[in-house]
Amino acid sequence: MKKFGIGLCLSAMLFTSVAWAAEQPPKKETPPDLYEGTPDWYRAVYKDNVGMKEGSGPFKDYFKPQMLDMYWQPNRHYEPMKNLDHSIFIEKERRDLCVTCHEEATPGVVRDWRSSGHKNPKSTPYLSARTAEIEKRTNRILNEVHCFDCHADTKKKQIRMPTGEVCGECHRPQFDDFLREREVGRPNHIQSWEANTIVPWYAEAARRGYLYGQHGCDLCHSGAEKCDVCHTRHKFSAAEGRQPEACITCHMGPDHPDAESYGESKHGVIYHKEEEHFDFNRPLSEVRPGKDYRTPTCQFCHMYEKHGRFIHNPVMKGIWRMGTIPPKNLEYTSSLKDYPYGIKIIGDKIDIYSEENVAKRSYWLEVCAKCHSDRFADTYLKSLDEFMFQAHTLADRAQKIVEDLIADGYLYPSAADRDPYPLSDGIEKQLSPAFLGEPIYNAFKTLKGKFPVVGPILGVYGMFLQQQDNPSNIENMYNRLWFWYKLQGYKGTAHVQQDVSWWWGQAPMMMEFTKIQSEAARLRREGRIEKVSLTK
Amino acid sequence: MKPKVLLDKVGFWCATAVTSAALMLSIAPMTASAVNIPTEVTELGKDTYKKYCSPCHGEEGKGDGPLARSMLPKPRDFTRGAYKFRTTPSGSLPTDEDIYRTISYGVPNSTMIPWDILTEEQRVSVIPVLKSFSEAFEVRKPDAPVTVGLPLRPTERALTEGKKIYEEKLECWKCHGVEGRGDGPSAAEQEDDFGFPIKPFDFTTGKFKGGNSAQDVYLRFTTGLNGTPMPSFAKELTDEERWCLTYYVMSLIKPEETKK
Repeated sequence: MKKFGIGLCLSAMLFTSVAWAAEQPPKKETPPDLYEGTPDWYRAVYKDNVGMKEGSGPFKDYFKPQMLDMYWQPNRHYEPMKNLDHSIFIEKERRDLCVTCHEEATPGVVRDWRSSGHKNPKSTPYLSARTAEIEKRTNRILNEVHCFDCHADTKKKQIRMPTGEVCGECHRPQFDDFLREREVGRPNHIQSWEANTIVPWYAEAARRGYLYGQHGCDLCHSGAEKCDVCHTRHKFSAAEGRQPEACITCHMGPDHPDAESYGESKHGVIYHKEEEHFDFNRPLSEVRPGKDYRTPTCQFCHMYEKHGRFIHNPVMKGIWRMGTIPPKNLEYTSSLKDYPYGIKIIGDKIDIYSEENVAKRSYWLEVCAKCHSDRFADTYLKSLDEFMFQAHTLADRAQKIVEDLIADGYLYPSAADRDPYPLSDGIEKQLSPAFLGEPIYNAFKTLKGKFPVVGPILGVYGMFLQQQDNPSNIENMYNRLWFWYKLQGYKGTAHVQQDVSWWWGQAPMMMEFTKIQSEAARLRREGRIEKVSLTK
Repeated sequence: MKPKVLLDKVGFWCATAVTSAALMLSIAPMTASAVNIPTEVTELGKDTYKKYCSPCHGEEGKGDGPLARSMLPKPRDFTRGAYKFRTTPSGSLPTDEDIYRTISYGVPNSTMIPWDILTEEQRVSVIPVLKSFSEAFEVRKPDAPVTVGLPLRPTERALTEGKKIYEEKLECWKCHGVEGRGDGPSAAEQEDDFGFPIKPFDFTTGKFKGGNSAQDVYLRFTTGLNGTPMPSFAKELTDEERWCLTYYVMSLIKPEETKK
């Protein structure tokens, strides 16, 4: 009888496993790849691991990375620790010892993990359902996701710092959504390290001894490869990623005061007053406005894709693209009319009324309509467009003043008498006319960077690197106008924060404009006086 | 707590202790006859120490390896020959088997993992290396292991007696706390012989550093923990009293704490 019982159990187990196998035909999925669809040169400078030997991006040879970069960009720069060789633990797959040691060495990490969905992936009905989906997709049974699963590189037998690709092995839909950020181009999160290092002033600053001064850039722009930017280690909580606080460590400050403008808006204030009533455990698609959230969060608006669907990236619906790119819908007096001046590596002007953008606007209205009338929301957003048109017009007028001054030979010190544009030698050597665009490339080649660069986007260098007399006072004023005050006004208006819109936006934009006017007048006057005195 | 409940708990933990002792025996033979411990420093010993021990304990055994600075408790400094977990009397050097046992079993609640991941040959090879860091082993020999008296059964009377010793006779609670959480009034002042703050043991965790069997706990009261403020009570307490105290502190284990 006993034997019969055992036999029955065994056959039941066998049957179950056969049934499981039959239900789960092994699928061949392409492994997740953060650099999918990018050209080969891209992988060679961003993905291929070089440790600490060289930097990232087209100008990688001009600077050595700082050691922290191995944590910011693990694909490119991670090197396993030298103090303790962990290979023995990986070879023997001693999962128990990870926890035994790190429970004491780094107790916070282990406690975080213990309270995470990774430790107990079936602890709630919701988690169980999500885990079941992952199990089905990956053909694995997941009763625990362990240190070993993410941190052990079993091929190289060494510890690895997980990138989004590691997360993507299980969280593929989220990974694929994140990858779609490339469709809309920079500014986005997935190309943030590219944005950090493709700009010539980063390598130039490093070459001039300011590598560590760019720490502030690196901390935000390291978000490209990793998921813990929003879902912090080692809880990796979806609920945490849904809270506005997940965004604000980067989204704040003079170029994008999102924390300030949302935080002090009525939306933000209501959130802070009533945050204990917000149910962040609910997936965004199941949030009932007015019940689970009384006001929207960053994620609720920006991760809403369209027609009731949410996407795991916040950039798809963006129209004004952080406010830096000029719109197509204006008549410009300055050289903004020729933007992007033949440069191939930056986006074209934005047509606010293109078919695509009109559709995006309707998706925004779908979100607003959860609480506002369509007419109110549409009117508000149209007033945002008008604000931006006015702000870009003011920027155009300011740029014209600076450009006329340069054209008339009154820029002082002149471009010929000051340091060249950052890394001009590198631009000429590393980039090609096909890559950069013929006119700009030729300018670098013939003038060796001894020419003024004003306005979006390359003119922003002065915000990141100041060299001998470059840029001059008036150019700096213009940078503040278009890169700070215009963007602050944009965020204040978009996020409905009146003070940011006016006192951080429109008012200083106008004040800077008159300063530019009087600085230009002064330079012209001095120039004329100098000419007269030289002729005497 | 009612004595009956107390007894049930002790019964449970004794069963657990027996199981863990059996498991431990399977991974860590405790007698000299089971393993052949070399007397001289060998190349294998040096290599093993360098690769797996020195990151914490330092190349010269001073407890100052590159990983030591962020660790608490600090890795053992071997230069003084002060070893916590021994079968030898208070103040004595440990036997080779004592060292072997700590290497194989590890020290719970610390970063000293059970090094059963290394082969037996590797584990024994580091023993002469550790000893070479302290002159004490050149001038002295370890005393003979203490005699373990006939174990008592954890009866109601034994537990009551143990409680009395814990609370009145030795006032263990002053460091270890009334409930055994390591939070007594003097807990914060404790320092080890190396000048590092040291936390009195939290019995509720059930992860006894020198091993979870009743005999392991009994040995700590009998031998003391060299280099720490925890003395031996071989003189103050009779053999029987030490068993009573053993069962009492084991009754302080809180199952919910052990799961952490």
